[in-house]
Amino acid sequence: MEPVLLRARGVPDSRSIATYLAAGGYEGWKKALGMGPDAVTKEVLDSELRGRGGAGFPTGRKWSFVPKDHPGPRYLVCNADESEPGTFKDREIIEYDPHQVVEGVAIASFAIKANTAYIYIRGEFVRWARILEDAIAEARQRGFLGKNVMGSGFDLDVWVHRGAGAYICGEETALLESIEGKRGFPRLKPPFPAVVGVFGQPTVINNVETLACVPHIIVRGAAWFASIGRPKNTGPKLFCVSGHVNRPGVFELPLGVTFREIIEEHAGGVRGGRQLKAFFPGGSSAPILTAAEVDTMADFDACAAAGTMLGSGGIIVFDDTVDMVDVADNVAHFYAHESCGQCTPCREGSDWCMDILDRIVAGHGRPADPDTLLRICRFSSAGMTICPLGDAFALPISSIVNKYRSEFERRIASATPLPQKKQPVLPWAGPCPGFGI
Amino acid sequence: MPKLTIDGHEVEVAAGTNLIEAARAAGVAIPYFCYHPYLTVVGQCRICMVEIAGQPRLALGCATPAADGMVVKVETSERAREAREAVMEFLLANHPLDCPVCDQAGECLLQDHSMREQGSEFATHMTETRRTFPGYERRLIGPHVVQNQNRCIHCSRCIRFTREISGTAALTYKSRGNSTFIDTFDGSAFDDPMSACAADVCPVGALTVREFRFRKRSWKLLSTPSVCPGCSIGCNIFIDHHERVVYRFTPRENPAINATWLCDHGRFLAEPLNEQAYLDPQHRTGGQTIRVGWGEALAGIAAELKDASGLRVVASANLSNEELFLARELFGRHLKGEIAVPVAPGEPRKMRNGKGEWLHATDPHANSAGARRLGLDLVDGEGLSRFLYGGAGLTLILDPGAHPFLASPEALQLLRVGTTVVWARREHPAAHAATWLLPTPSLAGNEGTFTSSAGAVQRFAQAFAAPGTVHRTATGAMSPSCPTIAVPWGPPGEARPLWLTLAALARELGVPPLDLASPADVFALMARKDKAFAGLAWETLGGLQQDESFRERQHVG
Amino acid sequence: MSTRPIVAASPEALQIVTFDATMEARIAELLPRYPTRRAAILPLLWLCQERFGWISPGVVRAVAARLGESPAFVEGVVSFYTMYQTAPPARYVLQVCTTISCAWCGGRELVAHLKERLGISFGEKTPDGVFQLVGVQCLGACGQAPVIQINDDYYENLDIAKLDAILDELAGRS
Repeated sequence: MEPVLLRARGVPDSRSIATYLAAGGYEGWKKALGMGPDAVTKEVLDSELRGRGGAGFPTGRKWSFVPKDHPGPRYLVCNADESEPGTFKDREIIEYDPHQVVEGVAIASFAIKANTAYIYIRGEFVRWARILEDAIAEARQRGFLGKNVMGSGFDLDVWVHRGAGAYICGEETALLESIEGKRGFPRLKPPFPAVVGVFGQPTVINNVETLACVPHIIVRGAAWFASIGRPKNTGPKLFCVSGHVNRPGVFELPLGVTFREIIEEHAGGVRGGRQLKAFFPGGSSAPILTAAEVDTMADFDACAAAGTMLGSGGIIVFDDTVDMVDVADNVAHFYAHESCGQCTPCREGSDWCMDILDRIVAGHGRPADPDTLLRICRFSSAGMTICPLGDAFALPISSIVNKYRSEFERRIASATPLPQKKQPVLPWAGPCPGFGI
Repeated sequence: MPKLTIDGHEVEVAAGTNLIEAARAAGVAIPYFCYHPYLTVVGQCRICMVEIAGQPRLALGCATPAADGMVVKVETSERAREAREAVMEFLLANHPLDCPVCDQAGECLLQDHSMREQGSEFATHMTETRRTFPGYERRLIGPHVVQNQNRCIHCSRCIRFTREISGTAALTYKSRGNSTFIDTFDGSAFDDPMSACAADVCPVGALTVREFRFRKRSWKLLSTPSVCPGCSIGCNIFIDHHERVVYRFTPRENPAINATWLCDHGRFLAEPLNEQAYLDPQHRTGGQTIRVGWGEALAGIAAELKDASGLRVVASANLSNEELFLARELFGRHLKGEIAVPVAPGEPRKMRNGKGEWLHATDPHANSAGARRLGLDLVDGEGLSRFLYGGAGLTLILDPGAHPFLASPEALQLLRVGTTVVWARREHPAAHAATWLLPTPSLAGNEGTFTSSAGAVQRFAQAFAAPGTVHRTATGAMSPSCPTIAVPWGPPGEARPLWLTLAALARELGVPPLDLASPADVFALMARKDKAFAGLAWETLGGLQQDESFRERQHVG
Repeated sequence: MSTRPIVAASPEALQIVTFDATMEARIAELLPRYPTRRAAILPLLWLCQERFGWISPGVVRAVAARLGESPAFVEGVVSFYTMYQTAPPARYVLQVCTTISCAWCGGRELVAHLKERLGISFGEKTPDGVFQLVGVQCLGACGQAPVIQINDDYYENLDIAKLDAILDELAGRS
């Protein structure tokens, strides 16, 4: 497939606005300003573009939820808080083609009539925050941003807002709280951000990759975009492959390719000639798939049908040397560290899972532990929590326990009980003489 | 007005009411920890999950508004029961389960709910190592609040209280995830003017009030509705007491005045109510002070009143409307005496009502508004000194605490000139200058009404049984007529509320309409005779007619 | 890559913090970006960390006063985010990714090597104050595993030899 989002990768000086303009950059923005907000939204709706951040919600639908008659300001937020383990695609886009993101932000802001947009980027991405700031400055200098953009009467300010180390801020309402200067606690929904978002105003939050698709849709049309991939799962998608493969990296492929093709052809197959054992299809929040499920198609609906999710497209590959108990333990550590601590099941459940897995790994597992893990996971997911972080740890861990239960049981069978603390021997300890007990 | 069905009970509630409150109205209890009717809804604890017919996922009782035709299942839903059980298991997995040594026991939402869900099968948490916060188990975080972070269930009520109500934002979560804990900035003192409310809203024993903890098991306490005597705002309180000892004030809900809050100044006026310096009427004659019976004292004072050449009455803005009214009728109208109500300047106080508005006061008296309403003369310190200099044969001090000037050497000198009658409870220099000293009980032993600065006439009830129902013999032993011998329930000694003494004096003096048997009678007479109180009825005043759910709602505090 | 070392101000120096003209100018640039002052908390904390090396209670107090929040509120925010340093950091903070892809592609070996070479565990500083070892969760560079972030910069596709060379260079500079 001809690269779309990654077309600038490998081009010299690809980040500069001159290079971007030479490749037809900001044409989509010019065209969008001529089309008007509703037509832009319709085009995106027709393209069937679905959010690339993880949930796969139709982008045009999201935009259309913003109340038309809202009197106050509206905001667009670009979610560049890429923190899902196994995911490194947004960084790739920003590294090679930041103007693509800026242009997408501009078009989306125009579609929802937002005059301010924030790009929320994770705190660790210092370099990529600077790249974005430079790109915004260039765009502003050329009149693509700022007051009265290209004489259209439309004003747009774009600001980069850096996070400071919190996975949960990738959850859209936690991200809004973080922009507002608070702890990143996800909000109760409803109200949804499109109605009450950042600073209490209607807000649309879109992923970097989602927004990067938008200029291409405007320039080349919804039909072109929809012709890539499968129905309802349209367009190019960036797949990140990491773990035990020969050529880890980001690959741009149409939605609907199989995981086998991605892993074997594009990522060069499993490293060292070993066998594939399992893989996370969409970041570590997605239920794990076994080697037997490698022919599943990599798109939103096929993954859902396989009981997992495409998520952010972060594929983590494990070869046959990997012990799945260790994987579950590592995953549990991640989510226990990243749980915000606000609501009960996730705060207590993520940590509890970690404790149990730690003890199994340490050789002190108990026979009831796999079932306890499943029970914790069951009651930390499916609406028990405020945000999807509960599901994010519960689904992968329960999928690993279910699919590789024998590995847990083997470890537990050879486990030794944790050494018990000795009870102090007190002078009066022992059978009570008075009652003959 | 949406009409809905909760566990088979149909109920109609105001639009916008959430399911917890709708269920309460229907007589169904949805458990909750983080929900509080006067704080923002955060949906953190997840215990209030209910099943709504037609919805695939469980809904939050706190965050779901009642809708017309909704069919809600709480106790009757297996899924909701399972969810509640799981949430309890999560919470208890890291809770110390130290109820026997926890002072919140008896008024702990977590304990209450554990008791309710008894018989469920969860027990995995019993085998796990618990999370602890070393150094945060028994920590005085401010002048009045003790923290035990191990017990915290992370409901954030205390944090929301300081952000949304007291406005200091002095408490915060620190760290995150499972290691989240509550703290002040850099370990500084939690010196919020309403700090003890943070302990009130704490559903568990993570924050407790230093002054109250370990003094009395909460289930032993009786709660008597009353009104805070701390300033003119008139916050509604419960006097929590047991065996004639007052242990604490807790806020009583009144959306118009104090919602469910109470400032620390008012709250800690509870302890001084236990002081009773004077137990019997006293008469000073010929340089000697002798204890006398009430009959003798009343007859003696009545005689003084009849013979007096000029009568001056120093009333007080701390007295009830009934007492001020009786004083005005008896001493002013009938005996043609002069009455002054001294008012002292006070510290600024403020309280947040149920709508989130601040109410302010600089008046330290509970009933200046009542005195004003009765047309009495309010005087400041200077006015009071002029009043006392006026010279009269007989001076009555109805409450020596009315103004600090009454304790000054200057005032005492003036009081020693003629005959002085003093009603007092606490040790006071004016009492030593009295010819007659009559003991009065504290607010807890009295009954009546106060008028708040905003004009609300509010009742306070008597915490201890009316005087006269329990008699002491001359030796101090209980009389045989007393129903329980072990526990003397009345106010200490022979103290009698002022209204009762005034009514008795009126009888002695033969003033007919003042022959009254209870504060309710006085109030009825006042409402008849004084147009400022016209149309008010004792029975409907002050929110004392609340049903049982009211007290349960107090449990939010 | 030339990673900029952190120069941390002493705790004494940060007891009472005032913002100078340069800082105020940058704050003035920040504030109009948001409709509320509170929203400037994160960026202002970043500015302070850049300037002073870490976020002391004095910095928290100053940020709170400047933005009209309670110090407790700001401290709550600081403690939520892992990247704000609440103690004086070493010159080079080695943030080693411990999450899945890095862990299984050599990250665990790097951690073991670092602990041995520096003689410290996660959360500790070397006695000379040059290196600090922090175990972090996914850095979002799984394709280049294993990854270490040193101060602001990413070092990718590492192995023990490459890491040693980097540490030698950084240690030599300080």
